[in-house]
Amino acid sequence: MKLNPDERWDLIDSIARHVVTYGEYRHTLKDAIGELTVKPMTGLPIAIAVMYCFWSVFGSFAGTLCTDGFFVKLFDGYWLPWLQEVFPGKGGWIYSILIDAGGMTNGEFILSDNCFEAFGVLTSGLFVAIGVVLPAIVIFYLMLTLLEDIGYMPRLAVLIDTVLHKIGLHGYAIVPTILSLGCNVPAVTATRILETRKQRFIMMTLLAIFIPCGAQLGIMEEVIPDLIGYVLLYLVIGYFIFGFILNRIVPGKSPEILIDVPQYQKPMMTNVRRKLWMRVSSFFKVAVPFVLLGCVVVNVLYLVGFIQWLGDLLAPVFVGWFGVPKETAGPLIAAFLRKDLAVAQLSVIEMTQYQMLSAVVLVSIYFPCVATFAMMLKEGWKELIGSVAVLTVVVFLYGGIIHLIGKLLGVA
Amino acid sequence: MKILLMGHPNVGKSVFFNRLTGANVIESNYSGTTVDYTRGYMSLDGKEVEVVDVPGTFSLDPKDRAEEVAVAMLKEAKDAYVICVIDSSKLERGLYLALQIMEEGYSVIIALNMDDVAEDKNIKIDNQKLEQVLGVPVVSTIAIENIGISKVISRLKDAKPVDVEDITVMRAGMNHCGRCGRT
Amino acid sequence: MEKRLNELNFDEEGTVKEIDESLLRQVAGMGVRIGKNVRMTTKQPMKGPVVVEIDKSFTSLGRSMAEKIVVEVKK
Ligand SMILES: Nc1nc2c(ncn2[C@@H]2O[C@H](COP(=O)(O)OP(=O)(O)OP(=O)(O)O)[C@@H](O)[C@H]2O)c(=O)[nH]1
Ligand SMILES: [Mg+2]
Repeated sequence: MKLNPDERWDLIDSIARHVVTYGEYRHTLKDAIGELTVKPMTGLPIAIAVMYCFWSVFGSFAGTLCTDGFFVKLFDGYWLPWLQEVFPGKGGWIYSILIDAGGMTNGEFILSDNCFEAFGVLTSGLFVAIGVVLPAIVIFYLMLTLLEDIGYMPRLAVLIDTVLHKIGLHGYAIVPTILSLGCNVPAVTATRILETRKQRFIMMTLLAIFIPCGAQLGIMEEVIPDLIGYVLLYLVIGYFIFGFILNRIVPGKSPEILIDVPQYQKPMMTNVRRKLWMRVSSFFKVAVPFVLLGCVVVNVLYLVGFIQWLGDLLAPVFVGWFGVPKETAGPLIAAFLRKDLAVAQLSVIEMTQYQMLSAVVLVSIYFPCVATFAMMLKEGWKELIGSVAVLTVVVFLYGGIIHLIGKLLGVA
Repeated sequence: MKILLMGHPNVGKSVFFNRLTGANVIESNYSGTTVDYTRGYMSLDGKEVEVVDVPGTFSLDPKDRAEEVAVAMLKEAKDAYVICVIDSSKLERGLYLALQIMEEGYSVIIALNMDDVAEDKNIKIDNQKLEQVLGVPVVSTIAIENIGISKVISRLKDAKPVDVEDITVMRAGMNHCGRCGRT
Repeated sequence: MEKRLNELNFDEEGTVKEIDESLLRQVAGMGVRIGKNVRMTTKQPMKGPVVVEIDKSFTSLGRSMAEKIVVEVKK
């Protein structure tokens, strides 16, 4: 026999009357904190403080402590010179790909003195993956896991709902958005918690275009610490402007938020440790091979002259429209494989501050990395095609606007 | 034999799954952590049994993609045993899905998880009576502390399809004057 | 006195009396049902969502959903 919903609820009510007793309940400290963090007057300042903390711990742990304090010294001081010394075939193409392409200064062949410029698979590749990205990812996921296990995410969702509603989403879209700051790949799947196709499409498109992943954040923190704030500002503004537009043009419904706000909970260290290990290791299974492969591909393309050729071909667009040097063609190819690698590569190209800012924003918004791309395909090819179409328009439009703003401000 | 772990979001299904199979599915304190299914295996009486961690769903009428996955998983496994995980502090809503699954003819066993939370909130549930009324095994558990999970498994054999009509009759018998118990 | 759910003041309690047909099923799964006791926890500014307490658990729902729910306010 099957019941209709009303009969089912009736049945449940009468069962509950017989088996459940609700005793006296006094609100506990947990409940009090729970309410404080979701009420706008107290909750919003707390949310800002939490995000600020997140960011400063991220920067100081990953950038200052681990990378600058340890890995730079290790890689530039010992690993690079040692490899440059012992690896045979200096100046040959295998040497350039694996160790150091060096450079010609005043007609003399000179080896690089740091792991950003060398751009060999075993030097820059390993340095970016282990020295820069590993600490960034570890600290990011540690903090994310704590926020998740405590039960803060739904409260953040409630606080930010109004804003996200303007772009056709609702507060719970904060979940894929924050996951995406770690890695876009799981975030694409997490869009499934949104109710309609319209919402999932908007979310997926926005995160593929505007949200930098943890690896990219880590490397930006390292190579352009003064500019990263502006890069993020451009990305956040773009997220909302294009979200607003997409909300207007994508057909479909945008239902309101309807979520459960769970009780706060003390995170269990065993679970935190396990989750951290899982996420970091699965990230690295994807990241390390792609970073190394990216180095090989870019080096080979340089060696055969493809990147110079492409740079010349695209020069009018790059220089004229986006206002960045034509050498950015190389990093843009790398960006398809790994964004962190692309930013590392950009950092050694000679250009002005504003050009650097524009180039980094372009690397972020231009094409998601292959892994994300594959994941989006899994969620539906129609959505993927739609997203790519939006992306193409956004890159040209927003890239041009950023150039224009620079001109108006007199910095480009 | 196949076992599905079903229930509302954020009730502890993934914790159950990890404890049963030794897998490493992500557990977090918010709804919608699991949006795709994961298969795992455990041994039961020397046999290998498939266990599936299903995304949380409120009912069998899906409202988002994750719930669609959940409903599809259930429909696909007609002869599966379903461990219906319920948050003890939210028994009523949890029972809605449990009843729906029972109406579809599945063998259900109910795990009243988060027993500690219910106790904190001073909510008491009479398991025996619930088991008697529903005609399916009911076990209290605290999944994160590994309490009650083996009991759930040992009682799997008692799970069998029940007709909700019997429950309705049973309920009528419990009320002193049938349906007037409502007022 | 009757009020719409979104009109409840902070900490005010009431009993759910009426839920619009269009969201009856949807909110039932979150514990919002006729006859249940609700307490207003917060209302977000600018027509943001509300958070209510029902059966000792908290649920957040959009403002226009709350507008479609009528409660009898407790004195
Ligand atoms: N206090 C308490 N917490 C529990 C218990 N079981 C699980 N939890 C916690 O409840 C939260 C949700 O657990 P999950 O296993 O991720 O929930 P789920 O049912 O898989 O949720 P979805 O994947 O969203 O459908 C986690 O933070 C767990 O630590 C329990 O018995 N007692
Ligand atoms: Mg889960």
